Amino acid sequence: MEIKPTKIGSTVVMLILGLFMIMPFLWMISTSFKSPSEVFQYPIQWIPSKVTWEHHLKVWTGKDSFLIYYMNSLKIAVICTIGATFLSALAAYGFSRVEFKGRNALFMFYLSMMMVPPQVLFVPKFILFDKVGIYNTHWALILPGLFTIFGVFLMRQFFMAIPHEITESAFVDGAGHFRIFFRLMLPLAKPALATLAIIDFSWHWNDYENALVFLLDRDLYTVPLGMQNFILEFNIDYNGMMAATSAGIVPMLLVFLIGQKYIIQGITGSAVKG
Amino acid sequence: MNWAKKQQRLGYLFILPNMVGVILFFVIPALFSLGIMFTNYKYTSPDIAWIGLENFDRLFHDPVFYVSLKKTALFLASVPVSIGLAFLVALVLNRSVYVKSLLRAMFFMPYITSGVAVSFVWMLLFQPSQGPINGFLRSIGIEHPPGWMSTTTSSMYAIDIIWIWFLLGYNMIIYLAAIQEIPQEQLEAAKIDGASTWTTVWKIIFPLVSPSTFLLMITGLITSMKTFGMIEAVTQGGPGGSTTILSLFIYHNAFRYYEMGYASAISWVLFAIIFLITMIQWVGQKRWVHY
Repeated sequence: MEIKPTKIGSTVVMLILGLFMIMPFLWMISTSFKSPSEVFQYPIQWIPSKVTWEHHLKVWTGKDSFLIYYMNSLKIAVICTIGATFLSALAAYGFSRVEFKGRNALFMFYLSMMMVPPQVLFVPKFILFDKVGIYNTHWALILPGLFTIFGVFLMRQFFMAIPHEITESAFVDGAGHFRIFFRLMLPLAKPALATLAIIDFSWHWNDYENALVFLLDRDLYTVPLGMQNFILEFNIDYNGMMAATSAGIVPMLLVFLIGQKYIIQGITGSAVKG
Repeated sequence: MNWAKKQQRLGYLFILPNMVGVILFFVIPALFSLGIMFTNYKYTSPDIAWIGLENFDRLFHDPVFYVSLKKTALFLASVPVSIGLAFLVALVLNRSVYVKSLLRAMFFMPYITSGVAVSFVWMLLFQPSQGPINGFLRSIGIEHPPGWMSTTTSSMYAIDIIWIWFLLGYNMIIYLAAIQEIPQEQLEAAKIDGASTWTTVWKIIFPLVSPSTFLLMITGLITSMKTFGMIEAVTQGGPGGSTTILSLFIYHNAFRYYEMGYASAISWVLFAIIFLITMIQWVGQKRWVHY
């Protein structure tokens, strides 16, 4: 490979900018291992003079351990992700492969619902959930989380890109819609399903607003609430704060590094080719 | 049963499971909310009365509402800034860099992390007296760096910086994909005609990716209008209401003061603003978006 000076130059500039982008994460991780006296040392002490695990230990073993928050978040995110991905694919198949009256009007209605801000829905959902008795339970997050309009939109985009000949020839061979969906479309859409699953999982893992409105008891808290709880309680313990935010962020960073390809494909696929 | 009828039934069958959820958790709550906005419903009081448009009358006389509108506008200003920066970064990343995928990942990372967590990290970075950002500013000779989140005049700018940083990766990814779809011949033709880099970027690339700019403006503004968690977590709208954007104003009325009727009315005003901004952009796109 030929080495070009301008290419090296722009790489260096971009690397500096890129480092600025991830600087908060690096600082967070580094601070979580520092001693309190080193937190605000300037110039920044990137490598602590003595690495201490004390703050992480406090986060994981304290009164309200992150272990509980993790289990709650995992439970909610996994159930919602599996359910929402499957139900979205099912509906997307209907919207892209089955011809029925009012299909386009219904889809337009779906899309217009995306403009409704969550604030419109928070109050009525709060009142309804309270009346039904699922306020302050995980059901208040799981049940609505099983349905995503964006997911239907995303899956429909992918199904539209699959040539009609494939499904039509299966149809001619006598396969029904359900058979085509399960045996043909779902396997073909594996990358799309992975994309939606990762995006959906990250929403539920990072979801703070719903947990804030619908959960009250500490033992029901999810990771973002647990993090805030920890920080409000120990707001002078900067090292502990950074250990707590690390606990909340690092899993998503790992998911991203592993599934980067799918996330980026999904986002560009749903937006650019729309 | 004939074939077309069977198709019809099957179509609904595929959509039904999802539609049940959409009706239960979107449509019914939305209709319910349309009803409560005409009442004085307070969660803490059992008396509910129909008060017509009084909530709106109250809102338009509420000084906090006007402050929150101003703050919302200040918050939304971060969207075009982030889009502009993303365009420049995407241009360079697309042209010629080594380790492209590593760089792409570095820029995209903030977008998939929890807004609440990164707000806390930024809060410490912005710490006025000892924080590393002001430490840096002092080291380059700025004697009185801003107080960031601690003063009413600078708090919204601090939030803007976080939001620009947060959205940048998403905007950049969309631009990268759009730039890659530009036919190579067009760029080569421009080169042969002797167009400068500047002309190529502004006269050819920028118009060709205008549908993406349009999409990013629409989705960016809608997302920003709805967001409040990352602000609520660190500033609770303060200091002195200086970061209370409209979505946060609604949240406070609903779940701090339990003014459910009033909050519902404001939430539909928020919807009306989102709708209006989207429509204005939709109409305005003809002037600058080239498909």
